[in-house]
Order: sequence, then structure tokens, then C-alpha cells
Amino acid sequence: MSTYVYGIAARSHPSLPAEMGGVGTPARPVRILEEGELAAVVSDAPEDLRPKRKDLLAHQNVLNEAGGGGVVLPMRFGSVAPDDETVTGVLAERAEHYLERLQALDGKVEYNVKASHDQEAVLHRVMSDNPELRALAESNRSAGGGSYEDKLRLGEMVAAAVQNREAEDAALLRQALEGTAAAESVGPESTGWLANVSFLVDRAKAEEFLAVVERIRKEFAHLDVRVNGPLPPYSFVEPAPSEPAEART
Amino acid sequence: MTVVPAQQTGGGGGSSGLYDVLELVLDRGLVIDAFVRVSLVGIEILKIDVRVVVASVDTYLRFAEACNRLDLESGPRKSPGLPDIVGEITESGARGKSKGALSGAAQTISDAFSQAREEGQSESRPRARKTTSRKRGDEE
Repeated sequence: MSTYVYGIAARSHPSLPAEMGGVGTPARPVRILEEGELAAVVSDAPEDLRPKRKDLLAHQNVLNEAGGGGVVLPMRFGSVAPDDETVTGVLAERAEHYLERLQALDGKVEYNVKASHDQEAVLHRVMSDNPELRALAESNRSAGGGSYEDKLRLGEMVAAAVQNREAEDAALLRQALEGTAAAESVGPESTGWLANVSFLVDRAKAEEFLAVVERIRKEFAHLDVRVNGPLPPYSFVEPAPSEPAEART
Repeated sequence: MTVVPAQQTGGGGGSSGLYDVLELVLDRGLVIDAFVRVSLVGIEILKIDVRVVVASVDTYLRFAEACNRLDLESGPRKSPGLPDIVGEITESGARGKSKGALSGAAQTISDAFSQAREEGQSESRPRARKTTSRKRGDEE
């Protein structure tokens, strides 16, 4: 029977969610494996595990529950060991490393911030910031909408202006938030948002952090800011600036 | 402006919450060589919205159309003070003088955007963008 691994915590963690429902249908009960000063949050691995919505949520929920009582190093979804002994073997072998990480992340949580433009508001803003754009729009209008080429030229300029604005607002957002964060990690770019940044925040500063988010929402009405957290420190489990989990201070 | 609950705590994890943290759960977190990873083939939730701001002829034309309408309805009032006025309107929704014209323009633009968004989404699967050539044809 292979073993599904959710995360790694200190053995002294006060409330690891043993017996909680994990991945699979029916949900496999969560078990705790202990090795030295460390503990692994695991369950049996279902044979046919796939990244289905229900299982992704189960993974996330087990980690949220465990994270509520103390720091847990979250595994990426879908990590399966051949058996329990392999898991405890890894804990024993890399104990020093995991203990160091647990200590570094103790009392901290991740907040993921994604921002996009409120399209209507940003268009107004771009038009009023740029006299050249206004003039061009004006001349198109008086020409009854302008020729196909005119429209294309105007549209292209507006699109570029909106994209510039995206870059400016992304920088602004990071500047405003990095002050209250212990570390930040820039997520993958996508057309779905103009900023996607994870912040490592001390629990004691979480309120302050969220207050800054609120201030940004008020000050920049053309920004749609979404915050997810507190989350297990997915983006900060690796210490060195390597691959995606790159932490910048 | 969409209001999303700032705190999403354990146990809850609604659909939007999962969608927003999906890349964290799938692409971040600890990876251990001695473990295998479940194949992510066939994951169907990983759909990224098609935004309006992409470099395509369709987008440009839509922007042009939106701007054209914006200026028509706000007329000579388009001044450096515009963002403030717009801000006030979105907040209070009732600023006597300028309200009619500006919110009308805003609505027009909003319509153009949601239209663009819908079309963008429906087009995102088969990546055919036939509209481009058709529009060009119309013009000639």
C-alpha cells in the first residue's frame, strides 16, 4: 500500500489532524508518522489518484487544518511514497534540513495576492492620462469612427497604454505590500492577472498586511485585488532561490 | 469592484478559493525525490481566463470602438479631472451634473468589455479567429 504525503511538521506540533478525511473516495483517514523530532502527515494513497477537484481540496484542507496549529511544510499535490518506511527514512535522512525550514517558517503564513484591472475604470484612466490617445479617438469619432486602419491604430495604442498601466500597478502593489512581509515570491505570469505574488507574513502582522490590502483597494479603484490566505507556506518551503519557490527578501 | 473575502480559512475553500490557489497546490510546495508524483495529465480546472488585453486585431478594434463611444458621450468634459469624477460615480452612483453622460459612457464600455470577454472565452477552445479576416473583408 503506497503512502500519500501531505506535509512535514515538528513532532512537537500540538494538533496534527489525525483521523481527518484526506484524498480518495472514500476519503482515506489522515495518519501521523513520527521519526526523531519530525512528523509526516500522511494517508493511504488511493490507487487511481488524479488531480481532481475533490482531491485537490482534500489536500488543501488537511494542510490548512494542520497549519492552523503550527507550521507545516506543505508537499506539492500528488506526492506518493511506496510505503511508510520510505517516508520515515526521508525524514531521518534530511532531518536537519526540515528542522531548519520549520524553524525559519515558524509563526509565518503565506498570502497569495492576485490583481487585475477593472476594465472599465482603467480605460477611463488611460484615456484621461494620455492627450494623444484622446486626440486620436476624437479625430476617429469626427470621421464617423475612422477607417479600419484608424481604428486599428487607436485600439493598438489603447491596448499598449493599458498594458503599461498593468506593469505600473503591479510594481505599485508589490511596493505597498512588501513592507509588512518577511519575504515575497513572484508567481507565474498569466493573462488572467497583472500581478501574482505570494507574501510570507508573520501571523502577528497578518492584520496589518490585510489592512494595507484594504487601503490599496480603496485608493486604486481600478484594481481588482484578490487575497488568499492564510495558506501553508507553499512558496517558501525551499530556502535557496531555486526553481519556482523563489523567495526574495 | 468584486469583493472577495479576505480570509479563507481551513475547511472552507470554496470554488473561487481553490481556483486562485491552484497553481500553489500544483506547482509549489515541497518535492522529494524519493516520492513519485501523480500525473497531472488531464487536469481540466487549469483554465486561465482569456483577457481582453491581448495583441490581436479583434482586441484593437474593440478598444477603438469602446473609445469612440466613450468620447461621443462624455464630449468636451473629458478633462484631466476625469478619473476623479469617474471614481465618484462608481462610488456614489449619484453625482447630479456629470452623472448621465459619464455613466452612460461607462456602461457602453462595460458592455463592450463583457462582450469581448464572452467572445474571447467562447473562442478560446478552438483557437480559430475567423472574425479577423471577415472584418477586413467588410472594410474593403
